[in-house]
Amino acid sequence: MAPSESAQDDTMPSEKDRLDKKVTNGEQKVASMAEHIPGTNGTGEAAKGSEQGQKLADVPKEKELSGKEKKELAKAQKIAKRAAEKQKQQGQPAVDLVAGNKGELPKDSGKKGPLGPATPAKTQHKKTGSTSAGAQSSLPHRQALSHAAPAAAEPGKENKNVALFDHLYGHPRRTTVAGAGKDVHPAVLALGIQMRNYIVCGSSARCVAMLLVFKRVIESYTTPPRNSLPRHLTILLSSQIDYLVSCRPISISMGNAIRWLKVEISNVDVSTPESQAKSDLCDLIDTYVREKVTVADQVIANKANDKIEDGDVIMTFAKSSIVQQTLVEAFRRGKRFRVIVVDSRPLLEGKNLARALADLGLEVQYSLTHGISHVIRDTTKVFLGAHAMMSTGLYSRVGTALVAMSAKEANVPVIVCCESVKLTERVALDSFVHNEVAPAEELIIQGKPSSPLSKWVDVPNLQLLNLMYDLTPAEYINMVVTEYGIIPPSSVPVIIRLSTNT
Amino acid sequence: MLTPPPEENTAIPPSSDPNNGSPSFNLVSTYKNILSTDLLITKPIAAIESLISLLSASPPSTISETLSLLESATSELKDSVPNSIALSAGTDLFQRYLISTLQQGSAQSAKSKGKRSSSGGDGDFRAIRAHLLANGRLFAQRANESRGQIAKVARKFVRDGCTVLTCGRSRVVAAVLGAAAEDGAKFRVVYAQDSNDGLSKNSADIVTELWRKDIPVATITFAALAASLPYVTFALVGAESVVENGGIVSGMGTNQMGLLAKSVGKPFYVVAESHKFVRVHPLSGDDLPLGQKVLDFSTQSREEEKEHEEGKRKAGDEVVDFTPPNLITAIVTESGVQTPSAVSEELIKIWF
Repeated sequence: MAPSESAQDDTMPSEKDRLDKKVTNGEQKVASMAEHIPGTNGTGEAAKGSEQGQKLADVPKEKELSGKEKKELAKAQKIAKRAAEKQKQQGQPAVDLVAGNKGELPKDSGKKGPLGPATPAKTQHKKTGSTSAGAQSSLPHRQALSHAAPAAAEPGKENKNVALFDHLYGHPRRTTVAGAGKDVHPAVLALGIQMRNYIVCGSSARCVAMLLVFKRVIESYTTPPRNSLPRHLTILLSSQIDYLVSCRPISISMGNAIRWLKVEISNVDVSTPESQAKSDLCDLIDTYVREKVTVADQVIANKANDKIEDGDVIMTFAKSSIVQQTLVEAFRRGKRFRVIVVDSRPLLEGKNLARALADLGLEVQYSLTHGISHVIRDTTKVFLGAHAMMSTGLYSRVGTALVAMSAKEANVPVIVCCESVKLTERVALDSFVHNEVAPAEELIIQGKPSSPLSKWVDVPNLQLLNLMYDLTPAEYINMVVTEYGIIPPSSVPVIIRLSTNT
Repeated sequence: MLTPPPEENTAIPPSSDPNNGSPSFNLVSTYKNILSTDLLITKPIAAIESLISLLSASPPSTISETLSLLESATSELKDSVPNSIALSAGTDLFQRYLISTLQQGSAQSAKSKGKRSSSGGDGDFRAIRAHLLANGRLFAQRANESRGQIAKVARKFVRDGCTVLTCGRSRVVAAVLGAAAEDGAKFRVVYAQDSNDGLSKNSADIVTELWRKDIPVATITFAALAASLPYVTFALVGAESVVENGGIVSGMGTNQMGLLAKSVGKPFYVVAESHKFVRVHPLSGDDLPLGQKVLDFSTQSREEEKEHEEGKRKAGDEVVDFTPPNLITAIVTESGVQTPSAVSEELIKIWF
């Protein structure tokens, strides 16, 4: 139960901290209640302190019996340790984070003293994480944190985060493997950096790469004495995932795959010999990759091909491997059609797609998003890839919504190609609540010292926003091609039920 | 009322049997016969019934032989008509039903008498087949009865004082309006048709039926549709088939009615039995294999030739168009009132 529950929360970057929170859920609830209720009532400091102490003292008493909660406690301790570690090596991020709330923080901390206000999740999880580890050590720790806050809000340094997206910034992406946890597998270390630098990029590619690397983790795994594989391996995997998240927030498909893998690991019978269990798990991963990605892609490419006819002009945005496969398949079948690749900075992924298709012998037109209202006139169909697909819309590379909306305006049908592993029951109505903010420096044209943005940090009142994704509302999408069939966006939950139950 | 068609069907095969020998049973003529003899029967049902008669006419064989026989028969049937969408709803459904029954049957037999070998399995298949033939009839009957259930549900839409806009010769619409009239609802009907010179033969039934029940009916041409819309409460149409995204294939002019109703914000209801749901997902009307030519460009010299062709076409199937889901307010089936997007869910339920 516990592993699958925590896996659910791996799915999104911004939920990473919620994961940490949830793991420690049992005691945390008690602790945080103790923290908040007296605070809001406005009772004195002393009462607050004693009440909390009491509550916290109660916690271990209740705990001692159940094995599951013991496990949670161990996990919580681990997380607390990791959080402390993180803070040690990157004092800066923690400070930055609090600085985002500089408006309210000083006032609050003045009122509530060392116990601190109800700060945003990010800072809270660190606190409560350590709280659950042990009430004694946590108090000075917290004090240090809330003292750091006013220091960060020092007037000289301008906050370069865009206020509307402040909740998305989180930690800056990890740049080196230094400071990674000691139990992170070398292959995972490498993959993290590759993902960070977009060497491994794209929802499915990252998902597959992660699973393959996890296979190596499992292969080189030995269960420590007096521990069981289902229990220990899950924890080990969690630390690998935490490292990957610190490099770049994980995708929905990765989250889905992790959730699946954790369930599979927890299903391993404790009596199975370790070598057998390991090879079984590796086989399961292979099957998963084959069924959910490799074969699914072929099925989707075939199904989507029914919608490509001679004389079509197909527009696509950026680069999606599944759209590429569909177009290549159509070309292989001898269909005569033209492709318009619309692309946008800073990643310019569409260049690769345009080149690959042109090398095949297809007629390809390449355009940037500013030319879209012009090229949409020639288009007969729009094919889009997905980062994630929800019943309320398509979550994909930023700029996709623009393409879909232009298509709707021009009455051109929009077709989304997407494996079922990318479907999610999450609901998003806009691109603000969930998103990924990439480093702003990527927007600056590299190797050009005269670029007007090269010294943007020093320009007062200038902020750069580099979002990764946007949401295309479902009304702009005509159909979604999955390996289960062609469906309207509203049927996404049905396919999720289908693909996870069987 | 529902029993005669199957009786008739079983009567047909023997008559065609002596000509071609027992294995070749004329599926296409059976299908056409069913459609022409019973006006209440829809295309999907007719297809199912003709497939059942094919099964009863062919000698019992193995499961895979039965399935491949059905498959070839289905494609033969589909090829015989220009617009096979409506019919394929029935054949797909039947095939699906057959496969799932066979799977269930074989799973049960495997469970109960696991160790018995092929001879036992063969006997089981025969039992399954007999069961299938009996139940297949029942299936067709039930599908026919669903019209009454729809009338019961959709009747609530027709309230006192409302004006219903409709077109085409849908049997379900007739059933709904008839049920409302019999309940004593006071409503009026605006009936849109192609030409104004009297009632065309197809539409006559529904209009005279309503007149007989003392329901005031105004017949208009499609050209007068926009002008008459302000006086209308809602539009109610039938469908030949309902596709996966919730759009409908229906008589020519339905799409136009949907567009106009949408533009003035009048509800546009579709009544259709759920056996008309078909697993096709078109991007637009021209993405459907309708086998018809909406536009036929010509110059004066070709005009005479064209008239000649038109005369020939009239003998064949009626023309249809596609109404996209965004124009449809709700689809009423025997299981209740659904949004267009629920169609795909229903279909997935059947297929997986």
